[in-house]
Amino acid sequence: MNLARVLALAQREWREILRDRIYFLLAFLLPVMLMLVFGYGMSQDIENIAFAVVDEDHTPLSRDYAHHFIESRYFSFKGYLPDADAADRLLAQRKLRLVIVIGPRFAEQLRAGRAAQVQTLIDGTFATSTRTIQAYVEAINLAANTSVRSGYLARRLGLPPERVADLLHPVVLEVRYLYNQEVRSIWSVAPGLIMLILMLVPPLLMALSVVREKETGAIYNVYSSTITRAEFLVGKLLPSVTISCINAVILWLLATLYFGTPFKGSLAFFGVATLLYILCTTALGLLISLLVRTQQAAMIISLVMSIIVSIQFSGLITPVSALSGGNYAIAHAFPAMYYNEVVKGAFLKAIGFEALWPQLLVFALYALAVFMLCYLLFRKRTRT
Amino acid sequence: MGQAALVAAAEAPLLRVAGFVKRYGRRSAVKEVSLEVRRGEIYGLIGPDGAGKSSLMKAVAGVLSFDAGRLEVFGIQLDSEAAAERVKGRLGFMPQGLGLNLYPELSIEENIDFFARLRLVPAAELAQRKERLLAITRLARFRSRAMKHLSGGMKQKLALVCTLIHEPELIVLDEPTTGVDPVSRRDFWLILSEILHERGATALVSTAYMDEASRFHRLALMLDGRILAAGRPQDLRRRVPGVAVQLRAEHQAEALARLRSVFAQVQALGAWIHVFAQDRDATAAEREIRAALADIALHEMFSTEPELEDVFIASLRQQDPHAGAMSAAVQAPLAAMAAAADGNAIAARGLTRDFGEFRAVDRVSFNVSRGEIFGLLGANGAGKTTCIKMLTGILPPSAGEGSVGGIDMRHAGRAIKQRIGYVSQAFSLYTDLTVVENVRLFAGIYGLTRREAGERLAWTLDNGGLAGYENETAGSLPMGLRQRLALGCALVHRPQVLFLDEPTSGVDPVGRRQFWEILFRLSRIDGVAILVTTHYMSEAEHCDRLALMYAGGIVADAAPAELKRRVTEEAGSLLEISASPVLQALALLRSAGYPDAALFGEHIHLLARDPDTAGTQLRQMLAGAGIAVAHIGRRPLSMEDVFVHYVTLLERGGTLQ
Amino acid sequence: MKRPATDFPSLARIWLQQIAVLSLKEIRQLLRDRALFIYTVYIFTANIIIAAGGASNELRDSPVRVHDADRSVASRDLIYSFQPPRFRLAGEVDSAAEALRLLDRGEARMILDIPPDFAESLRRQRPAHVQALIDTSQANTGYLASSYAARIVARFSEAQVQRNIIRAGGDPRNLPTIRNEVRVWYNPDLNDKWFNTISELLTMVTVACILLPAAAMIREKERGTLEQLLVSPLTPLQIMLSKLLSMMLVMLCGTTVAIFGIMQPLYHVPFVGSVPLFFLLAALYAFTNAGLGLVAATFARNSAQVGLVVLLMVMPIVMLSGTWTPMESMPAWLRSLMYLSPLRHFIEVAYGILLRGAGIGLLWESVAAMAAIGIALFALGLARFRRQFA
Repeated sequence: MNLARVLALAQREWREILRDRIYFLLAFLLPVMLMLVFGYGMSQDIENIAFAVVDEDHTPLSRDYAHHFIESRYFSFKGYLPDADAADRLLAQRKLRLVIVIGPRFAEQLRAGRAAQVQTLIDGTFATSTRTIQAYVEAINLAANTSVRSGYLARRLGLPPERVADLLHPVVLEVRYLYNQEVRSIWSVAPGLIMLILMLVPPLLMALSVVREKETGAIYNVYSSTITRAEFLVGKLLPSVTISCINAVILWLLATLYFGTPFKGSLAFFGVATLLYILCTTALGLLISLLVRTQQAAMIISLVMSIIVSIQFSGLITPVSALSGGNYAIAHAFPAMYYNEVVKGAFLKAIGFEALWPQLLVFALYALAVFMLCYLLFRKRTRT
Repeated sequence: MGQAALVAAAEAPLLRVAGFVKRYGRRSAVKEVSLEVRRGEIYGLIGPDGAGKSSLMKAVAGVLSFDAGRLEVFGIQLDSEAAAERVKGRLGFMPQGLGLNLYPELSIEENIDFFARLRLVPAAELAQRKERLLAITRLARFRSRAMKHLSGGMKQKLALVCTLIHEPELIVLDEPTTGVDPVSRRDFWLILSEILHERGATALVSTAYMDEASRFHRLALMLDGRILAAGRPQDLRRRVPGVAVQLRAEHQAEALARLRSVFAQVQALGAWIHVFAQDRDATAAEREIRAALADIALHEMFSTEPELEDVFIASLRQQDPHAGAMSAAVQAPLAAMAAAADGNAIAARGLTRDFGEFRAVDRVSFNVSRGEIFGLLGANGAGKTTCIKMLTGILPPSAGEGSVGGIDMRHAGRAIKQRIGYVSQAFSLYTDLTVVENVRLFAGIYGLTRREAGERLAWTLDNGGLAGYENETAGSLPMGLRQRLALGCALVHRPQVLFLDEPTSGVDPVGRRQFWEILFRLSRIDGVAILVTTHYMSEAEHCDRLALMYAGGIVADAAPAELKRRVTEEAGSLLEISASPVLQALALLRSAGYPDAALFGEHIHLLARDPDTAGTQLRQMLAGAGIAVAHIGRRPLSMEDVFVHYVTLLERGGTLQ
Repeated sequence: MKRPATDFPSLARIWLQQIAVLSLKEIRQLLRDRALFIYTVYIFTANIIIAAGGASNELRDSPVRVHDADRSVASRDLIYSFQPPRFRLAGEVDSAAEALRLLDRGEARMILDIPPDFAESLRRQRPAHVQALIDTSQANTGYLASSYAARIVARFSEAQVQRNIIRAGGDPRNLPTIRNEVRVWYNPDLNDKWFNTISELLTMVTVACILLPAAAMIREKERGTLEQLLVSPLTPLQIMLSKLLSMMLVMLCGTTVAIFGIMQPLYHVPFVGSVPLFFLLAALYAFTNAGLGLVAATFARNSAQVGLVVLLMVMPIVMLSGTWTPMESMPAWLRSLMYLSPLRHFIEVAYGILLRGAGIGLLWESVAAMAAIGIALFALGLARFRRQFA
């Protein structure tokens, strides 16, 4: 390995990137744009849900019940509706996501100690957010139920309210949220996006930079010179990895400063892990570049691979543990899944080398294996 | 051949190729090629696109594997990647495509430095070599200019410098001169010769230009993966004995037809007819021509040494008697010379186009009448294409006006566009559509009915020799056929004005001749006005009239023969000097009042006003300096000489008539 | 050459014929562009299948670890209520430290900590405090886990509540209850596959609508055939329309395959509304985006660049469409920007017709918005297309 040649190659590449406007924008603008757009697009802090109430009872008790929803910070009250037909229409028009229909004898039934019927109509078009809304409704209903029951029992049995509460809650579930006490979606999305973007951009840049040389014929300078295969591969990787490292810093700053995600872990650990992960993803791009001839093909293959792997098989949205057999295996075949554990650990869980060293080992071996594969595939004397 | 070269020839060859075969999938690109290159020589591979030149050169440079045969460089068998690596340190390779292997964002100096660092050239040596090479190539004052802002000639020189920076013993240059203006080309050959001579290096160079043959010490003519003929240029010319006759006759089309019944190679060159009379001497040839023409009046006739292209086609015919035959359809009826001049079909008046700061076309004016073939001759970047784009209405001019049939193209409506045919650069057909699909597409675009489309399709297939290729995709056709398909598509609506942008680039000589034949018929029989651009200097002779373009402007505009006559009047006739050592002779001549003396392989060309006295003077002068003079003789002027003359005049600040 | 026709009917015939031959050419070219064709087939087939099995925030087999300090029958009962499909008991932990370690490593998503006096408290009618430590590093599923856990605990408590009331002298049959019956409309089982496949299809339709015309245009630019067309009597409008029409056709074919060949047979995605209306509006959507594709083509110099420009356009369009985050949850400044995303409006249309059976009466606002955005973008594309030759 002759360092002078590696540096010559790397430095030339670096200069080209800095001076080629389109490539420069791609290298540094694309990651930032993805971070912002995905940050807003994928965070699922579901709030301000437009809802209305159909109160067929018109009693203080029914209004009380409605108020449980109206006061919730998750919901945004749009008013009372005359009947269920109006509710249907507004749901169909997507003016509302949720309608609470309080049955006609609501107060009467409750006062008689019977079950009162309430219907909640939810627009289930978007399954993911609907699930969360359902959980909100359930929680509010539970609270309302408890307050109705305790009032009733306190009156009936003449017991002090706290005693009634004890009776009604034999088991109190004390929930403690770990890592993300306020359950903010962006806190889990932003670190995940670092994983996604570093899976997406480095292979793309790497693959394009090699294939571009193939297309123009500049690759012949390399083929016909005395530079060795390993030197070429390293010289090509270096600038690309450098760019991605700079991007990693920018992304980290965006995640912490712009989106306000806490970073609880060790920067040293995160830095090492990120560097190794970038090596892996860049090497994947190098591998793609050796297999295709046109920039168009390089782009399609690297994008399709990156998007599928990082969104579906990384644990970004669906935990890997919930994946079925084949998908579970695919997830383990790419570095994204391991890095997702790293970002979660470093940002939210405050864990580092002691717990996540196996991931580092995976990255190191992975990068080495892909690099070796590239070395074996790369020919300075080609067939075509 | 000089003494040093003779000694070198005794050594083992530097490059030995035997039975070399290269296949891409099922297609054989190179079929059993054998050749040897000796130390110190410039060896040429001449042939059209697809002849197999690039494959052979890449294999020599150790960047392409091959399928059969032996390849020995510096005595090392290139039979594996490892073996190829062993020769790369002593070898320089410049791939095809002008400057494409350079880095557009880097400056001249950064490009050179990169190549040097890649080759581990020590810093001190690099500094020294860089200065020298920059000085020789006159690039020194542009050293910090980004490569993307260089002209074609400068890119070519920079690529050469980058290839030479590690002082290789063998340099492999793949089409280094394609598309470069003749002045830069002359420069290039001189620089190459000087550097090779100084370093004792060897070069393997390919080119698509037949007229560059004389630049080489030895060469091989390649076509379709085979070597047709190889040897020294003068030997190749002698290989097929015969004489070339140029003549001008009444009823050119009929004269052509009659001559064809006697001679195998007859073609129209503008108003002239060029006949290659194989196996005949000048007297016999002229006699037979007179007999063949019978009652057609002969205006002028003279004999010259045959062109290499004549030899190329003759060699081809020795292997395949049908090669290069003109199809019967080409023979024209006598009565069709109806190309009456009815005003200007195409007119450019002060046409100017700026791209930002850069003026691509500068006040260009010319007229083309019906039935006339008008040529725009110039290098890549001279402004030819921009000119055509303005005349076809694709690009609005910054100033001036271009009109077709008297209508300003800026406001060209449907009706005028219906009368224009256009073949853009590199025959921009739909390469992924078949022959029939392409023709039908253009028929549809021009609003032909189904019946008309069928007729035109049959015409295109017949006229272009495309029968049998109907369902091949255009991209899989050989260049010659592709070009005729492009022409067929451009003619599908029977336009009266035809624009052709470099229609013959990369096409083999036979295909080019057939193509010009079609153009000739279109102009003479159908009265179509044709504007054609080319960077092949030799092709310019096919035009009735031509304009030389340089740096966006027209430097001369007249019939080819007239241009030559003017140059002879202004600067004298062309002398060819064979002297040894040739570089020393050249230097001497250049300092002795012939600054434009140019190197052609082992010969020197220069223009002298009084050729006979000048010849004697020069012989004495060279002999006085201890230079052996083998021969001094006159040669006919080529279009390249004309071009170079006008451009040098312009560059020296002279005024043009 | 015969005189060119000048009367209106023959001009109109020729005008349409020109568009037809050009459109046919576009389709042929796409079929023969290997990389692009494979990609086009992929996005409407395999990609939909992959998406169906992918992203879901549904809580499935979430590993629960238990620290049971009580080891009573009651505590066992509670523990064994945490069952699939939502949860999965992954074993016990001995100490708080170990619990944290397991959470750190993702080997548990929830730790249930049952106090030593759990059964005793129940018996004495004193509230038994059970702690649940929930990993919210994945905020959404974390929140759902807590919600499901609360539901399980409530159900577990029900019997105890009744016993408590009886002991306090009340009648458990006489207890007021608000039965909130949640009805999810349009996707009653909250089938993620419906949502995922439709949203993926819409994303890919967007990609196709922008990428295909852009790639077709850049191909002509790269190979120089565009000039050939410009010299002919074609107008720029015809050139752009033919690309739009052919790519629209390709997209509609792809959508047909995706819906009727994959989404319905494999995932039973409903198609409640009118099929013709859906395809008509899908065609309108193609028009809405085509302008963007042509703008992309004017910015790029080659097919690689065009892909990247399209990427830069598609990402915001998809992410700001409200598919993932409901529009109302977005910051106010973004909300107004979202109206510019063509996909936002098509989502209303597509989900509306497919799942809710909406007709034009319900969708006219979105349709108007799509048309308006489309006209603006197409005009922009046409203007830029003309200008690049000036």
